[in-house]
Amino acid sequence: MNVSSQTWIVVADDPAVTALVVAARALSAEVTAVVAGRRATAESVAAAGVDRVLWLGEPAEGTPVEAYAPDVARTVADGAPRAVLGSSDGAGRVMLGAIAALLQAPVLSGVIAVEHDGDQIGVTRSVFGGVAERRDLVTGGPAIIALAGGDVGDPSGAAVPVEEVTANPLTTGRLTGVRKKEKAPVNLGAARTVVAVGRGLKAKADLALITGLADAIGGELACSRPLAEGVDWIPKERNVGISGQQIAPELYVAIGISGQLQHMVGVRDAGVIVAVNSDKAALIFKQCDYGIVGDLYTVVPALTAALAPKP
Amino acid sequence: MTIVVAYKWAPNPQDAAVGSDGSVDFSRAKSAISEYDPVAFELARQVAEATGAEVVGVTVGDASIDTSLARKAALSRGLDRLVIVADDRLAGADSTRLAAVLAAVVRGIGDVDLVLAGESSVDVTEGQVAMTLAGQLGWLGLNAVSSVSATDGGYAIERDVPSGTASMVLTGPAVLAATTDAVLSRVPGMKDILGAAKKPVEVLSLDMLDVSSAQVTLTAVSASRPAAGNRQRVIIDGSDPTAAAAELVGALRAAKVL
Repeated sequence: MNVSSQTWIVVADDPAVTALVVAARALSAEVTAVVAGRRATAESVAAAGVDRVLWLGEPAEGTPVEAYAPDVARTVADGAPRAVLGSSDGAGRVMLGAIAALLQAPVLSGVIAVEHDGDQIGVTRSVFGGVAERRDLVTGGPAIIALAGGDVGDPSGAAVPVEEVTANPLTTGRLTGVRKKEKAPVNLGAARTVVAVGRGLKAKADLALITGLADAIGGELACSRPLAEGVDWIPKERNVGISGQQIAPELYVAIGISGQLQHMVGVRDAGVIVAVNSDKAALIFKQCDYGIVGDLYTVVPALTAALAPKP
Repeated sequence: MTIVVAYKWAPNPQDAAVGSDGSVDFSRAKSAISEYDPVAFELARQVAEATGAEVVGVTVGDASIDTSLARKAALSRGLDRLVIVADDRLAGADSTRLAAVLAAVVRGIGDVDLVLAGESSVDVTEGQVAMTLAGQLGWLGLNAVSSVSATDGGYAIERDVPSGTASMVLTGPAVLAATTDAVLSRVPGMKDILGAAKKPVEVLSLDMLDVSSAQVTLTAVSASRPAAGNRQRVIIDGSDPTAAAAELVGALRAAKVL
């Protein structure tokens, strides 16, 4: 097999790479990063504990990072690594997809663990939205792995030089502008406690009940998909589930949420899950640590009161 | 010009039977147009109404995806015609294999300049096939697309990015995965469903398609039902809300999460 023992990471102009570097280091002594995007990103990756940085050059004005996917794929294929790690976010998926297409290898998602198994790489993944887990050995070529990116801890290691590689990005799409959001972005992923509400809420005005509880418990507000899409009561960034955020708070309180798989996959790794639902047969009661069967309109105010400091 | 809607006819894992050995049995789960795909049909129809483009639905999978119900469900959502590859050799196929078959179909259709897809399938839930398809075709792939409209010589699109909404112009072919709320999808009416029966369906044989063979394969080692299913499930009667709240808060304090 003409595959090196190296692990490569692919970076789509996102300098927050320490999670990928840590995962790559666990697989091999040598880690090479391929960086598409600005030089500043490449410089930042070069100081994040990798051994080598291949940079595809400064993008022309308006070139989206996704335009570099074919170049990223060719560069990775030339290096013939044993494993390729990339971010599971939007642009990361484009890079991994191009690599997968060139190497005719699957992109592995929902990854729980990756390790060497003798001569091969074993990958444990959650499949079908998390209803089951599988462990497979990857044979015949590289393991292409999508992981939650981001930074875990500070980058370590001396900065390595940035090596520029000639690239020929696609020219079929051009960025023409960005309308900034007015509000500061929500960081649900970093919240210790999250209070989420679903279809059990009858009117937008009743959200005050839920925000009252969130304040009393010191948590961020979140929701299931029906409240973020369709009725638009809660901003989309606060949507938890397959179509939204996947989070792992220490405490997750789900109010008026039935517990559909598509929602629960977003909180599978939460520490403690609490549910409040009027339907005692709701699926969520099989997937929670503590559940109160009752009307949220009476239970939530009682919870808020019980959490208030004693006079 | 032709717009392809790449969609999936799939069951919801919610309805699958999961064995203690981690086996997933979909045989009693009903399939439907995958939950995140109707938005792609609607976007395609809206663009086509402005440009006169033909809208072709493409779906690939095992033999069970080609039923009269499945055909009607897709054709009633604004397609002009449908192309299906239904072959049991594609049962459980990974995202790269599905994308390779889709790419072969798109190449065969010929004058496609836009492929629209949903952001994820409801069953596999990986959100990868569309972007691997872009890789197979060598086209620009873009996720999180919230709007598409035709312009002279191309398309203007908008995308959700962390800082806000990015606008882009496309002057060449692209594969776009739409956000789940990019447009409100119409529910097909009786007229759409009746009209669906008259629209052409082409069933392609997998053997006739030029699909490169998989280089990397997965060998299953083990499977399990996830541990996350083993939560404590302490259920409290909420008919006395104050008592229930006190009991819960006490339990959470004891568990040191408050």
